Amino acid sequence: MASVSGFTHSEAEVHGEHGHEEHSHPTGWRRYLFSTNHKDIGTLYLVFAVFAGVLGMLLSIAIRAELMFPGGHVFPVLSAILHGDGSHDAGKNLYNVFFSAHAVIMIFFMVMPAMMGGFGNWFVPLLIGAPDMAFPRLNNLSFWLLVAAFVMAMISMFVDGSPGFKGFGGGWVLYPPMASTVGTPGPAADFFILSFHLAGMASIIGAINFIATIFNMRAPGMTMFRMPLFVWSVLVTAFLLLLALPVLAGALTMLLTDRNFHTTFFEPSGGGDPILYQHLFWFFGHPEVYILIIPGFGIVSQVVATFSRKPIFGYAGMVYAMLAIALIGFAVWAHHMFDTGMSLEAQRYFVFATMVIAVPTGIKVFSWIATMWGGSISFRPPMLWAIGFIFVFTVGGVTGVVLANAAIDRYLHDTYYVVAHFHYTMSLGAVFSIFAGFYYWFPKMTGYLYEERLAKWHFWATFVGINLTFFPQHFLGFQGMPRRTIDYTDAYWLWNFVSSIGAFISGAGTLVFLYLIYEAFAAKRAAGNNPWGPGATTLEWTLSSPPPFHQFLTPPHIPGYGEHEHEEPVVAAGSAH
Amino acid sequence: MSAPGDDLARRNRRLALGGVAFVAAMLALAYAAVPFYAAFCRATGYGGTPQIAKADTGPVGRRALRVSFDTNVAPGLEWRFEPETDAVTVRTGKTATVYFRAQNLSDKPTAAVATFNVTPEVSGAWFDKIQCFCFNEQHLGPHESAEWPVVFFLDPKLETDESMARVDSITLSYTLFAAPAARASSRNPEEHAGPAG
Repeated sequence: MASVSGFTHSEAEVHGEHGHEEHSHPTGWRRYLFSTNHKDIGTLYLVFAVFAGVLGMLLSIAIRAELMFPGGHVFPVLSAILHGDGSHDAGKNLYNVFFSAHAVIMIFFMVMPAMMGGFGNWFVPLLIGAPDMAFPRLNNLSFWLLVAAFVMAMISMFVDGSPGFKGFGGGWVLYPPMASTVGTPGPAADFFILSFHLAGMASIIGAINFIATIFNMRAPGMTMFRMPLFVWSVLVTAFLLLLALPVLAGALTMLLTDRNFHTTFFEPSGGGDPILYQHLFWFFGHPEVYILIIPGFGIVSQVVATFSRKPIFGYAGMVYAMLAIALIGFAVWAHHMFDTGMSLEAQRYFVFATMVIAVPTGIKVFSWIATMWGGSISFRPPMLWAIGFIFVFTVGGVTGVVLANAAIDRYLHDTYYVVAHFHYTMSLGAVFSIFAGFYYWFPKMTGYLYEERLAKWHFWATFVGINLTFFPQHFLGFQGMPRRTIDYTDAYWLWNFVSSIGAFISGAGTLVFLYLIYEAFAAKRAAGNNPWGPGATTLEWTLSSPPPFHQFLTPPHIPGYGEHEHEEPVVAAGSAH
Repeated sequence: MSAPGDDLARRNRRLALGGVAFVAAMLALAYAAVPFYAAFCRATGYGGTPQIAKADTGPVGRRALRVSFDTNVAPGLEWRFEPETDAVTVRTGKTATVYFRAQNLSDKPTAAVATFNVTPEVSGAWFDKIQCFCFNEQHLGPHESAEWPVVFFLDPKLETDESMARVDSITLSYTLFAAPAARASSRNPEEHAGPAG
């Protein structure tokens, strides 16, 4: 393919409006601060996600250190260091602040920036043969809004919250009355809410950008059903963002005006109802969990196909499964609210609809397995993470089906079983798919090969550590240990101890990861265009590593286009070279 | 070659505007959910919202349920507020009248409104009120007291609702709040401080 050599300075017209400034691209800090280049912005997002992810992990390590033994001894010390108040109550409050911040950082500032902002920006244009995103400047705005949102969330931890304490401790769900002036009169909750607003705005702008890029900027011959599955997953996620985030923005704005301008949307004194907040929140919140995982589905599909040297099994089925998950995901929100007093009919509906999601999810899991079946599998690091993803996501999915039962949920609601469930899908599922993508595309993004032995150490430390962390939490949940409490009775000690050991092991894995990045940049082993061999058939592997600052100024040749038309999607075109 | 570029920019802009309009519509729908939710609760009894009935005209049913009363006064309102009895047992379809006593303990005239609901929440659809002080704002002069009747009945159709099959006891709960005008003038964050729930 001649796409790289087709890069000349005479083709600014292909860009239309923004072609001008990109010829002499800025260098140094200006290159990133003012960047409109999709790859540079993707890099910014990824660096930001690593930074936020390490911070969020440190918070969780502190939580696990506290829960290693009963008694609540760690957080009063932390509180004395951070806020100069070492009382037991201040410690309890700081614990609440930590798990709230942990959730927000991991959801809004780690997983979403890594998947959509990072890999989405980097690879959607490459995978569809486009020169850049549709709105490069908006792309820049998205990123810096996210940074502002992050700063707001951090400030929230250090300003007044509940009476006498610093920070907001009401969880990422921000339920009133804890998040209204009753529970948190201080500005910590306002900072938290505004942080959500900014992060949401950044995501909405990003989503519009992805939709315009994918609809309008595909290379000739790149039909919708030839798009690699990661592009499909980003498209589906972008629509989920457009549907869900405005509802969150509305609910949070109501909360904000309740707090500051005497409205009574959720204040019973004025006829409001806090339960309404829960409905609005979970109308956003449930699709949000699919926003976090669907791009991971796309990454894993491409990684599994590459390292099995087979086209993905059931491409169209995979696409329709993602669409079905996204669609049904909007009709199941009240399964988070079985305890709020619903009629049996309503509960039956939500139980059933929730369980239906297991069907398209099962289609995906079985298609991944069928892709590997009979394939020429090589267990390179990306493939290890992808297989790890399939395993942990299936465990998390199965416990999700358990929790979908309203009757069982009565017992397990707000116990550690729920914590185990959503960490298996998110902390393990989403994060494993991010690492699969990271190890898959790192040579493409940087031009360097990483040390595969280190990558395998990272994988095994994380896989063992994180399973050790979260699997015992199922037992704790069955025993009835409530989540979001700093202390517990001695009876829960053993599995908490095991869980904490697991957290420290996966924390050590993160150190391996950071050293791996350093080592790869220090050793400078050139990756070449395609380090993965004939299994890697998508367009990004036809470019140099790292790709040129601008690519595909003349649209690339799409296998099958212009010759005789056949039905195979591009990911299936194993003999394209 | 500038024509295709312009065309692309125009198509991109059109999609972006469509996206923004869509987001605005979803935001508007989020706000539309507020009145819709209130109407939905009134219509279906969702969230333990009692129904409002003109009169009890239906037949008398077979089941007898215990109805307990719970009264609360929100911080910022110096009133005493209690039911004349803790609980009554009523047969479905039979009208019951219960009096609630209120007294203004302060030296100035005050107005209050009551919020109300029933638990278990699923019984809201079958709890019909004919008359209630909670329908209107209530005014009491300094140290004045009053007795307010609540007239209600349980809809016999609850006997056919399987959600109600194992419900033998319903609690009707009221919370009196200072009326909005009075509350706004004396709003003080410290008063609202305290542990949630």
